[in-house]
Amino acid sequence: MDSERLHEQFMERIRRGEKIEATDWMPDDYRKLLLKFIQMHGVSEIMGAFPEKEWVPKAPTLRRKLGIMSKVQDEMGHGQLLLRVAEELGAPLGVTREQLITDIFTGRTKFHNVFHMASPTWADAGVIGWLVDGAAIVSQAALLDTSYAPYARVLKRICAEESFHMQHGESIILSLAEGTQAQRQMLQDALNRWWDSLIFFFGPPEISESARRMMEYRIREKTNEELRQKFLSRYVPRIRSLGLTVPDPNLHFDESTGKWVYTQPDWEKFGRMVRDNTGPKSQERIALRRQAHEGQAWVREAMTRSTAVPVGV
Amino acid sequence: MQLKEAEGLYHPYEVFVQYDHLAHHQHVGSVLAASPDIALQLARENFLRRDKAVNIWVVRKDHIHATPYDVPEFFANEFDKDYRRVDGYADNARRWKAFKQKALHIEDIVNDLEKGG
Repeated sequence: MDSERLHEQFMERIRRGEKIEATDWMPDDYRKLLLKFIQMHGVSEIMGAFPEKEWVPKAPTLRRKLGIMSKVQDEMGHGQLLLRVAEELGAPLGVTREQLITDIFTGRTKFHNVFHMASPTWADAGVIGWLVDGAAIVSQAALLDTSYAPYARVLKRICAEESFHMQHGESIILSLAEGTQAQRQMLQDALNRWWDSLIFFFGPPEISESARRMMEYRIREKTNEELRQKFLSRYVPRIRSLGLTVPDPNLHFDESTGKWVYTQPDWEKFGRMVRDNTGPKSQERIALRRQAHEGQAWVREAMTRSTAVPVGV
Repeated sequence: MQLKEAEGLYHPYEVFVQYDHLAHHQHVGSVLAASPDIALQLARENFLRRDKAVNIWVVRKDHIHATPYDVPEFFANEFDKDYRRVDGYADNARRWKAFKQKALHIEDIVNDLEKGG
Protein backbone atom coordinates (compact mmCIF):
# COMPACT_ATOMS: atom_id res chain seq x y z
CA MET A 1 0.00 0.00 0.00
CA ASP A 2 1.41 3.42 -0.87
CA SER A 3 2.24 5.78 1.94
CA GLU A 4 -0.35 8.37 0.97
CA ARG A 5 -3.09 5.77 1.35
CA LEU A 6 -1.61 4.58 4.68
CA HIS A 7 -1.45 8.15 5.89
CA GLU A 8 -5.09 8.75 4.99
CA GLN A 9 -6.15 5.55 6.78
CA PHE A 10 -4.13 6.63 9.82
CA MET A 11 -5.84 10.03 9.88
CA GLU A 12 -9.22 8.31 9.63
CA ARG A 13 -8.32 6.24 12.70
CA ILE A 14 -7.31 9.42 14.54
CA ARG A 15 -10.54 11.17 13.57
CA ARG A 16 -12.57 8.18 14.78
CA GLY A 17 -10.85 8.64 18.16
CA GLU A 18 -8.95 5.35 17.91
CA LYS A 19 -5.77 4.89 19.94
CA ILE A 20 -2.42 4.16 18.30
CA GLU A 21 -0.13 1.41 19.65
CA ALA A 22 3.68 1.23 19.34
CA THR A 23 3.47 -1.58 16.78
CA ASP A 24 0.89 0.17 14.54
CA TRP A 25 1.87 1.89 11.32
CA MET A 26 2.24 5.64 11.89
CA PRO A 27 3.51 8.54 9.77
CA ASP A 28 7.12 9.57 10.46
CA ASP A 29 5.82 13.04 11.27
CA TYR A 30 3.57 11.65 14.04
CA ARG A 31 6.41 9.52 15.40
CA LYS A 32 8.91 12.41 15.43
CA LEU A 33 6.52 14.94 16.99
CA LEU A 34 5.59 12.46 19.72
CA LEU A 35 9.18 11.44 20.31
CA LYS A 36 10.33 15.03 20.78
CA PHE A 37 7.35 15.82 23.03
CA ILE A 38 7.66 12.71 25.24
CA GLN A 39 11.45 13.03 25.44
CA MET A 40 11.05 16.61 26.65
CA HIS A 41 8.41 15.49 29.13
CA GLY A 42 10.62 12.66 30.44
CA VAL A 43 13.75 14.79 30.62
CA SER A 44 11.81 17.56 32.39
CA GLU A 45 10.68 15.05 35.03
CA ILE A 46 14.33 14.17 35.64
CA MET A 47 15.62 17.76 35.58
CA GLY A 48 12.56 18.75 37.65
CA ALA A 49 13.86 16.70 40.54
CA PHE A 50 16.94 18.93 40.86
CA PRO A 51 15.41 22.13 42.33
CA GLU A 52 13.64 20.01 44.94
CA LYS A 53 16.47 17.61 45.68
CA GLU A 54 18.47 20.63 46.84
CA TRP A 55 15.99 20.79 49.74
CA VAL A 56 16.23 17.15 50.82
CA PRO A 57 19.23 17.75 53.15
CA LYS A 58 17.78 21.05 54.39
CA ALA A 59 14.11 20.07 54.95
CA PRO A 60 12.87 21.47 58.28
CA THR A 61 11.61 18.21 59.81
CA LEU A 62 12.13 14.48 59.30
CA ARG A 63 8.61 14.09 57.93
CA ARG A 64 9.22 16.89 55.43
CA LYS A 65 12.51 15.29 54.46
CA LEU A 66 10.80 11.94 53.80
CA GLY A 67 7.99 13.65 51.90
CA ILE A 68 10.21 15.64 49.58
CA MET A 69 12.54 12.68 49.10
CA SER A 70 9.68 10.49 47.90
CA LYS A 71 8.62 13.23 45.54
CA VAL A 72 12.10 13.43 44.05
CA GLN A 73 12.03 9.66 43.66
CA ASP A 74 8.61 9.80 41.97
CA GLU A 75 9.85 12.40 39.46
CA MET A 76 12.82 10.20 38.56
CA GLY A 77 10.46 7.24 38.26
CA HIS A 78 8.16 9.22 35.94
CA GLY A 79 11.23 10.10 33.86
CA GLN A 80 12.06 6.40 33.52
CA LEU A 81 8.52 5.43 32.51
CA LEU A 82 8.38 8.21 29.91
CA LEU A 83 11.83 7.43 28.50
CA ARG A 84 10.71 3.81 28.03
CA VAL A 85 7.81 5.09 25.89
CA ALA A 86 10.16 7.43 23.99
CA GLU A 87 12.73 4.69 23.51
CA GLU A 88 10.20 2.38 21.89
CA LEU A 89 8.96 5.18 19.62
CA GLY A 90 12.51 6.13 18.65
CA ALA A 91 13.74 2.57 17.99
CA PRO A 92 12.78 2.56 14.27
CA LEU A 93 14.71 5.85 13.95
CA GLY A 94 17.77 4.37 15.65
CA VAL A 95 17.26 6.39 18.83
CA THR A 96 18.55 4.72 22.02
CA ARG A 97 18.05 5.34 25.74
CA GLU A 98 21.65 6.54 25.89
CA GLN A 99 20.93 9.23 23.33
CA LEU A 100 17.69 10.32 25.01
CA ILE A 101 19.75 11.13 28.11
CA THR A 102 22.91 12.55 26.53
CA ASP A 103 20.72 14.90 24.46
CA ILE A 104 20.40 16.87 27.73
CA PHE A 105 24.15 17.64 27.79
CA THR A 106 24.43 18.37 24.10
CA GLY A 107 21.40 20.67 24.21
CA ARG A 108 19.52 18.60 21.62
CA THR A 109 16.54 18.28 23.95
CA LYS A 110 15.06 21.00 26.13
CA PHE A 111 13.50 20.91 29.54
CA HIS A 112 10.80 23.12 31.03
CA ASN A 113 11.74 26.70 31.92
CA VAL A 114 10.76 26.28 35.57
CA PHE A 115 13.56 23.77 36.15
CA HIS A 116 16.23 26.28 35.11
CA MET A 117 15.34 28.51 38.07
CA ALA A 118 16.86 28.71 41.55
CA SER A 119 15.00 27.57 44.68
CA PRO A 120 16.74 29.62 47.38
CA THR A 121 14.28 29.12 50.28
CA TRP A 122 12.06 26.40 51.75
CA ALA A 123 9.08 28.41 50.48
CA ASP A 124 10.42 27.90 46.94
CA ALA A 125 10.26 24.14 47.56
CA GLY A 126 6.65 24.70 48.68
CA VAL A 127 5.73 26.84 45.68
CA ILE A 128 7.29 24.28 43.33
CA GLY A 129 5.19 21.53 44.91
CA TRP A 130 2.06 23.64 44.91
CA LEU A 131 2.09 25.78 41.76
CA VAL A 132 4.76 24.31 39.47
CA ASP A 133 3.32 20.86 40.06
CA GLY A 134 -0.16 22.36 39.78
CA ALA A 135 0.73 23.72 36.33
CA ALA A 136 2.31 20.40 35.36
CA ILE A 137 -0.79 18.51 36.53
CA VAL A 138 -3.05 20.74 34.41
CA SER A 139 -0.94 20.01 31.31
CA GLN A 140 -0.59 16.30 32.03
CA ALA A 141 -4.25 15.76 32.85
CA ALA A 142 -5.07 17.40 29.51
CA LEU A 143 -3.06 14.66 27.79
CA LEU A 144 -4.81 11.67 29.41
CA ASP A 145 -6.89 11.13 26.27
CA THR A 146 -3.91 11.45 23.90
CA SER A 147 -4.08 9.40 20.70
CA TYR A 148 -0.87 7.48 21.54
CA ALA A 149 -1.98 4.68 23.87
CA PRO A 150 1.39 3.80 25.50
CA TYR A 151 1.78 7.47 26.49
CA ALA A 152 -1.80 7.61 27.82
CA ARG A 153 -1.24 4.52 29.98
CA VAL A 154 1.92 5.95 31.52
CA LEU A 155 0.24 9.34 32.07
CA LYS A 156 -2.53 7.62 34.00
CA ARG A 157 0.01 6.21 36.44
CA ILE A 158 1.88 9.52 36.64
CA CYS A 159 -1.31 11.48 37.39
CA ALA A 160 -2.21 9.03 40.17
CA GLU A 161 1.09 9.84 41.88
CA GLU A 162 0.73 13.55 41.17
CA SER A 163 -2.32 13.54 43.43
CA PHE A 164 0.13 12.91 46.29
CA HIS A 165 2.39 15.71 45.01
CA MET A 166 -0.56 18.12 45.08
CA GLN A 167 -1.29 17.40 48.73
CA HIS A 168 2.41 17.47 49.59
CA GLY A 169 2.93 20.94 48.06
CA GLU A 170 -0.23 22.33 49.65
CA SER A 171 0.80 21.01 53.04
CA ILE A 172 4.12 22.91 52.87
CA ILE A 173 2.64 26.23 51.77
CA LEU A 174 -0.27 25.94 54.25
CA SER A 175 2.22 25.59 57.11
CA LEU A 176 4.00 28.72 55.91
CA ALA A 177 0.74 30.62 55.39
CA GLU A 178 -0.41 29.69 58.91
CA GLY A 179 2.98 30.70 60.32
CA THR A 180 4.77 33.85 61.45
CA GLN A 181 5.00 37.10 59.55
CA ALA A 182 8.49 36.09 58.41
CA GLN A 183 7.20 32.76 57.06
CA ARG A 184 4.34 34.46 55.22
CA GLN A 185 6.78 36.95 53.74
CA MET A 186 9.05 34.09 52.64
CA LEU A 187 6.03 32.54 50.86
CA GLN A 188 5.13 35.84 49.19
CA ASP A 189 8.74 36.32 48.03
CA ALA A 190 8.80 32.83 46.55
CA LEU A 191 5.52 33.49 44.73
CA ASN A 192 7.01 36.72 43.34
CA ARG A 193 10.05 34.80 42.11
CA TRP A 194 7.99 32.07 40.40
CA TRP A 195 5.06 33.94 38.90
CA ASP A 196 6.51 34.87 35.49
CA SER A 197 7.99 31.41 35.08
CA LEU A 198 4.57 29.88 35.83
CA ILE A 199 2.87 31.99 33.18
CA PHE A 200 5.64 31.13 30.69
CA PHE A 201 5.41 27.41 31.56
CA PHE A 202 2.35 26.86 29.33
CA GLY A 203 4.10 28.37 26.31
CA PRO A 204 3.21 31.26 24.01
CA PRO A 205 -0.46 32.01 23.28
CA GLU A 206 0.06 31.65 19.51
CA ILE A 207 -0.44 28.16 18.18
CA SER A 208 2.88 27.02 16.72
CA GLU A 209 3.09 24.88 13.62
CA SER A 210 4.11 21.79 15.61
CA ALA A 211 1.33 22.40 18.18
CA ARG A 212 -1.17 22.65 15.33
CA ARG A 213 0.02 19.31 13.92
CA MET A 214 -0.06 17.69 17.34
CA MET A 215 -3.68 18.80 17.69
CA GLU A 216 -4.50 17.44 14.26
CA TYR A 217 -3.04 14.08 15.35
CA ARG A 218 -4.90 14.39 18.65
CA ILE A 219 -1.62 13.98 20.52
CA ARG A 220 -2.87 16.96 22.49
CA GLU A 221 -6.27 18.61 22.31
CA LYS A 222 -5.93 21.85 24.26
CA THR A 223 -3.95 24.97 23.32
CA ASN A 224 -1.32 26.57 25.56
CA GLU A 225 -3.68 29.43 26.28
CA GLU A 226 -6.60 27.15 27.22
CA LEU A 227 -4.36 25.36 29.74
CA ARG A 228 -3.02 28.63 31.18
CA GLN A 229 -6.59 29.90 31.62
CA LYS A 230 -7.60 26.69 33.44
CA PHE A 231 -4.57 27.05 35.70
CA LEU A 232 -5.39 30.68 36.53
CA SER A 233 -9.06 29.91 37.25
CA ARG A 234 -8.10 27.11 39.59
CA TYR A 235 -5.17 28.68 41.40
CA VAL A 236 -5.57 32.49 41.52
CA PRO A 237 -8.51 32.34 43.95
CA ARG A 238 -6.56 29.94 46.20
CA ILE A 239 -3.47 32.19 46.15
CA ARG A 240 -5.61 35.19 47.07
CA SER A 241 -7.54 33.40 49.80
CA LEU A 242 -4.23 32.85 51.62
CA GLY A 243 -3.80 36.64 51.67
CA LEU A 244 -0.98 36.48 49.12
CA THR A 245 -0.65 38.99 46.30
CA VAL A 246 -0.15 37.83 42.75
CA PRO A 247 2.74 39.97 41.51
CA ASP A 248 0.90 41.16 38.42
CA PRO A 249 -1.10 44.39 38.83
CA ASN A 250 -2.87 43.74 35.50
CA LEU A 251 -4.16 40.30 36.45
CA HIS A 252 -7.96 40.18 36.43
CA PHE A 253 -10.81 38.07 35.15
CA ASP A 254 -12.57 39.77 32.27
CA GLU A 255 -16.26 38.93 32.71
CA SER A 256 -17.11 39.97 29.15
CA THR A 257 -14.65 37.54 27.50
CA GLY A 258 -14.69 34.98 30.31
CA LYS A 259 -10.90 35.04 30.28
CA TRP A 260 -8.05 36.02 32.56
CA VAL A 261 -6.06 39.04 31.49
CA TYR A 262 -2.40 38.95 32.57
CA THR A 263 0.87 40.71 31.84
CA GLN A 264 2.81 38.84 29.17
CA PRO A 265 6.07 37.43 30.55
CA ASP A 266 9.27 38.21 28.66
CA TRP A 267 8.76 35.46 26.06
CA GLU A 268 12.06 36.24 24.37
CA LYS A 269 14.11 36.10 27.57
CA PHE A 270 12.60 32.85 28.89
CA GLY A 271 12.63 31.32 25.41
CA ARG A 272 16.33 32.00 25.06
CA MET A 273 16.97 30.56 28.51
CA VAL A 274 15.32 27.24 27.58
CA ARG A 275 16.85 27.13 24.10
CA ASP A 276 20.41 27.93 25.16
CA ASN A 277 20.32 26.56 28.72
CA THR A 278 21.27 29.95 30.13
CA GLY A 279 18.95 30.10 33.14
CA PRO A 280 20.34 30.81 36.62
CA LYS A 281 20.73 27.09 37.37
CA SER A 282 20.77 25.48 33.89
CA GLN A 283 24.48 24.77 33.61
CA GLU A 284 24.93 23.67 37.22
CA ARG A 285 22.09 21.13 36.98
CA ILE A 286 23.12 19.86 33.55
CA ALA A 287 26.65 19.36 34.91
CA LEU A 288 25.24 17.35 37.83
CA ARG A 289 23.18 15.23 35.44
CA ARG A 290 26.23 14.59 33.27
CA GLN A 291 28.29 13.71 36.32
CA ALA A 292 25.61 11.22 37.44
CA HIS A 293 25.39 9.69 33.97
CA GLU A 294 29.11 9.39 33.37
CA GLY A 295 30.07 8.62 36.96
CA GLN A 296 27.64 5.70 37.05
CA ALA A 297 28.64 4.26 33.68
CA TRP A 298 30.57 1.52 35.48
CA VAL A 299 27.36 0.45 37.26
CA ARG A 300 25.54 0.09 33.97
CA GLU A 301 28.45 -1.91 32.66
CA ALA A 302 28.59 -4.11 35.75
CA MET A 303 24.89 -4.83 35.36
CA THR A 304 25.44 -6.31 31.93
CA ARG A 305 27.64 -8.91 33.61
CA SER A 306 25.18 -9.81 36.33
CA THR A 307 23.66 -13.24 36.02
CA ALA A 308 20.05 -14.15 36.49
CA VAL A 309 19.82 -15.04 40.17
CA PRO A 310 16.30 -15.01 41.55
CA VAL A 311 15.79 -12.46 44.32
CA GLY A 312 16.08 -13.81 47.81
CA VAL A 313 18.47 -16.62 46.88
CA MET B 1 31.50 2.37 28.93
CA GLN B 2 28.68 4.01 27.05
CA LEU B 3 25.30 2.34 27.18
CA LYS B 4 25.41 2.56 23.39
CA GLU B 5 28.08 -0.11 23.36
CA ALA B 6 25.92 -2.24 25.60
CA GLU B 7 23.11 -2.28 23.05
CA GLY B 8 21.89 -5.80 22.71
CA LEU B 9 22.75 -6.35 26.36
CA TYR B 10 19.94 -4.23 27.76
CA HIS B 11 16.44 -5.50 27.00
CA PRO B 12 12.92 -4.29 27.65
CA TYR B 13 11.13 -6.48 30.20
CA GLU B 14 7.36 -6.36 30.58
CA VAL B 15 6.31 -6.18 34.22
CA PHE B 16 3.40 -8.07 35.78
CA VAL B 17 2.44 -7.42 39.40
CA GLN B 18 0.36 -9.73 41.59
CA TYR B 19 -1.20 -7.44 44.15
CA ASP B 20 -2.58 -10.22 46.34
CA HIS B 21 -2.83 -13.99 46.32
CA LEU B 22 -6.41 -13.96 45.08
CA ALA B 23 -5.54 -11.84 42.05
CA HIS B 24 -3.86 -12.75 38.78
CA HIS B 25 -0.66 -10.98 37.83
CA GLN B 26 -1.49 -7.74 36.08
CA HIS B 27 0.56 -6.02 33.40
CA VAL B 28 1.66 -2.58 34.61
CA GLY B 29 4.39 -1.44 32.20
CA SER B 30 7.96 -2.18 31.28
CA VAL B 31 11.56 -1.54 32.32
CA LEU B 32 14.90 -1.62 30.52
CA ALA B 33 17.43 -3.91 32.19
CA ALA B 34 20.53 -5.97 31.57
CA SER B 35 19.26 -9.08 33.36
CA PRO B 36 16.07 -10.53 34.84
CA ASP B 37 17.20 -9.93 38.43
CA ILE B 38 17.92 -6.26 37.76
CA ALA B 39 14.59 -6.03 35.92
CA LEU B 40 12.84 -7.35 39.06
CA GLN B 41 14.56 -4.74 41.24
CA LEU B 42 13.74 -1.95 38.78
CA ALA B 43 10.14 -3.13 38.55
CA ARG B 44 9.78 -2.87 42.33
CA GLU B 45 11.31 0.63 42.34
CA ASN B 46 9.23 1.82 39.40
CA PHE B 47 5.85 0.31 40.14
CA LEU B 48 5.66 -0.52 43.84
CA ARG B 49 6.77 2.62 45.64
CA ARG B 50 3.37 2.69 47.37
CA ASP B 51 1.17 -0.27 46.50
CA LYS B 52 1.49 -3.55 48.37
CA ALA B 53 2.10 -6.68 46.32
CA VAL B 54 3.04 -10.32 46.82
CA ASN B 55 4.82 -11.15 43.58
CA ILE B 56 6.34 -9.70 40.39
CA TRP B 57 6.97 -11.36 37.05
CA VAL B 58 9.27 -9.84 34.45
CA VAL B 59 9.20 -11.26 30.94
CA ARG B 60 11.54 -10.27 28.16
CA LYS B 61 9.48 -8.37 25.64
CA ASP B 62 10.67 -10.52 22.75
CA HIS B 63 9.41 -13.61 24.58
CA ILE B 64 5.82 -12.40 24.48
CA HIS B 65 3.50 -13.70 21.79
CA ALA B 66 0.68 -11.31 20.96
CA THR B 67 -2.20 -10.91 18.55
CA PRO B 68 -1.81 -8.11 16.02
CA TYR B 69 -3.86 -4.96 16.60
CA ASP B 70 -4.80 -4.66 12.95
CA VAL B 71 -6.75 -7.94 12.76
CA PRO B 72 -9.92 -7.03 14.67
CA GLU B 73 -11.65 -10.10 13.16
CA PHE B 74 -9.73 -12.16 15.69
CA PHE B 75 -11.94 -10.67 18.40
CA ALA B 76 -15.10 -10.49 16.33
CA ASN B 77 -18.39 -11.59 17.87
CA GLU B 78 -20.34 -12.41 14.76
CA PHE B 79 -23.72 -12.60 16.39
CA ASP B 80 -25.52 -11.67 19.57
CA LYS B 81 -24.18 -13.81 22.40
CA ASP B 82 -26.61 -12.78 25.09
CA TYR B 83 -27.44 -16.45 25.68
CA ARG B 84 -23.95 -16.62 27.24
CA ARG B 85 -24.53 -13.69 29.57
CA VAL B 86 -26.62 -12.88 32.62
CA ASP B 87 -28.47 -10.10 30.80
CA GLY B 88 -29.74 -12.68 28.30
CA TYR B 89 -31.97 -14.05 31.07
CA ALA B 90 -33.30 -10.79 32.50
CA ASP B 91 -36.89 -12.03 32.05
CA ASN B 92 -36.39 -14.65 34.78
CA ALA B 93 -37.15 -12.04 37.45
CA ARG B 94 -40.53 -11.23 35.93
CA ARG B 95 -41.37 -14.90 35.48
CA TRP B 96 -40.41 -15.80 39.08
CA LYS B 97 -42.76 -13.07 40.23
CA ALA B 98 -45.70 -15.17 39.04
CA PHE B 99 -44.48 -17.86 41.46
CA LYS B 100 -44.10 -15.26 44.24
CA GLN B 101 -40.29 -15.53 44.17
CA LYS B 102 -37.51 -13.05 43.44
CA ALA B 103 -34.67 -13.51 40.95
CA LEU B 104 -31.69 -15.27 42.50
CA HIS B 105 -28.15 -14.09 41.75
CA ILE B 106 -24.79 -15.61 42.51
CA GLU B 107 -24.00 -12.69 44.86
CA ASP B 108 -26.94 -13.80 47.06
CA ILE B 109 -25.37 -17.25 47.45
CA VAL B 110 -21.93 -15.73 48.16
CA ASN B 111 -23.53 -13.47 50.78
CA ASP B 112 -25.26 -16.48 52.38
CA LEU B 113 -21.92 -18.24 52.70
CA GLU B 114 -20.15 -15.19 54.08
CA LYS B 115 -22.74 -14.97 56.84
CA GLY B 116 -21.41 -18.33 58.04
CA GLY B 117 -23.42 -20.31 60.55
